[in-house]
Amino acid sequence: MYLALREMRFAKTRYLLIMAIMLLVSFLVLFVTGLAGGLAYANASAVENMPATHFLMQQDASQRFARSIVGEKELNKARSVVGDANAQRLGVQMTTVTGGTDGMKTDITLFGVDMGSWLAPTVVSGSAVSNTGAGEVVVDRKLAEEGITVGSLLHDQTTGLTWTVSGFTENQSFSHTPAVFMNLSDWQQLKQQMAGRAAADPAFAAPFNAIAIQATDAEAELLSQQLEGTAIITKKQAVASIPGYKEEQGSLMMMISFLFVISAFVLAVFFYVITIQKTSQFGILKAIGTKTFYLARSVVAQALVLAAASLAVSCMLVAVMQAALPASMPFQLSPVTIGYTCLLFIAMSLLGSLVSVIQVARTDALDAIGRAAG
Amino acid sequence: MTATKLMLNEITRVYHDGDTELTVLNKLSLEVKAGELVAVMGPSGSGKSTFLSIAGALLTPTSGEVLIDGESLAGKNGQQLSKLRLHNIGFIFQSANLLPYLKVEEQLMLVAKLADMDKRAAQARSAMLLERLGLLHRRSAYPNQLSGGEKQRVAIARAWMNDPAILFADEPTASLDASRGQDVVAMLAREVKAEGKAAVMVTHDERVLHLCDRILHLKNGVLVSA
Repeated sequence: MYLALREMRFAKTRYLLIMAIMLLVSFLVLFVTGLAGGLAYANASAVENMPATHFLMQQDASQRFARSIVGEKELNKARSVVGDANAQRLGVQMTTVTGGTDGMKTDITLFGVDMGSWLAPTVVSGSAVSNTGAGEVVVDRKLAEEGITVGSLLHDQTTGLTWTVSGFTENQSFSHTPAVFMNLSDWQQLKQQMAGRAAADPAFAAPFNAIAIQATDAEAELLSQQLEGTAIITKKQAVASIPGYKEEQGSLMMMISFLFVISAFVLAVFFYVITIQKTSQFGILKAIGTKTFYLARSVVAQALVLAAASLAVSCMLVAVMQAALPASMPFQLSPVTIGYTCLLFIAMSLLGSLVSVIQVARTDALDAIGRAAG
Repeated sequence: MTATKLMLNEITRVYHDGDTELTVLNKLSLEVKAGELVAVMGPSGSGKSTFLSIAGALLTPTSGEVLIDGESLAGKNGQQLSKLRLHNIGFIFQSANLLPYLKVEEQLMLVAKLADMDKRAAQARSAMLLERLGLLHRRSAYPNQLSGGEKQRVAIARAWMNDPAILFADEPTASLDASRGQDVVAMLAREVKAEGKAAVMVTHDERVLHLCDRILHLKNGVLVSA
């Protein structure tokens, strides 16, 4: 560290410039990571926040809620394996509603759930919907931006049904649309309308899209063996199968990984160039008896100091920005994610300095003799 | 401590250049005693650098033996040689070769640090050396703020820092004008006498020869007296 720090003190401009680049790259890494997290959350929070561990869907539904139809038979079977309370009906239907102050059309996703079960949304303002109430829904707070308040009417385009907003929940989106929760009798009515049946036909058992399950992996495995024509998928798989989720996350992940590689290369090139410039210095130091290990450690220490300093500053910048961003901006960065990102960044910097360490090891002490090197 | 600081016994060094063999040093022998400053002269290509590299434990001879302060270099590995250079040999290179980012005092402290010298003892020794070489007032200066003569004097101080048995100087006056060159070599000679050490100086500069105890010429791979 003796040499490393003194050299940085002496050549401030050089090291500040490279630190500025590292700072920008690491800030971008953290920012894009936060954005990816935020978008993932905005895309799939309704599923992610569900306390379910697995979902049971039709085998050929490609793990997508919209494509799957399951009925009472599967529900009964699932309940016999995991217990009555641990398997719940889940209806998912994307639709377009009009409502709000200016009658604007909005895409939403309807969720039909048992309001007495663990699938019921947490109400943050207004009142919850009971299983007996009719035509009442709890909606995601994002709809408040469209002018929807408690008591507003939502008019469904396809079925002509109208629901009254009774309360708000938060962080419930599906495929970037706000979630609207209704009880199972309203879900039954919706499906009947869509099937073109008379309003009240008690003989019609409305199908739903999936069965939400709280179970251990072993139970889920057992269940999938017992049920033909169905697939048990984990919550993670269900999230990844939401339309657009994989594509969105994939392109952001690509950006992040490129940024990591770029940071390693920027450091590698920088240290390689200055190490080559200093070949004669290293030769002198070796001639007067400095161990290669000491010199290599000095190069690595500089890379570490640069990486750590730029990370510290960019973490502060990210914190400032997080506070300044508008709520509508999808941005989510947990301390754990920041920690992992920083560790990976430091690892990449070390990797970048490796080329120079090899160069230092190759420098011959003989370079010092008989050469008028600076 | 022995009176003979450097002993070279029939050193031969052969370079292979394609198919031809080039014998640069041919059974060269030399003994340097404590308190001696020896000048080695010779035209370029006569093998001065090879001679200095072998005597300074940077290069292994094809045959022959090197003893520094009574210790033979034969059979030592790279790390052991590096350690020996750190503790027993002082180097002064052409055009000083100080580290540009260390202040004068730090140049000396670095060497002490590498040798694990006690910090307080190192500070005392560096102050003493800088004082003797007339550099105490420049101790917080960077090399780019020093004159050529001052730089070489710092290099001499650095070479003495770890109390080596012998000091090797590779054309120390090459980048200095006549009077500065005289000063630097005079100081070198005085330090050799004061510390009871030995020094070997490879040089082209005839103006400083009168300060040396012995003058040798490198001819046909051996050293001959002038």
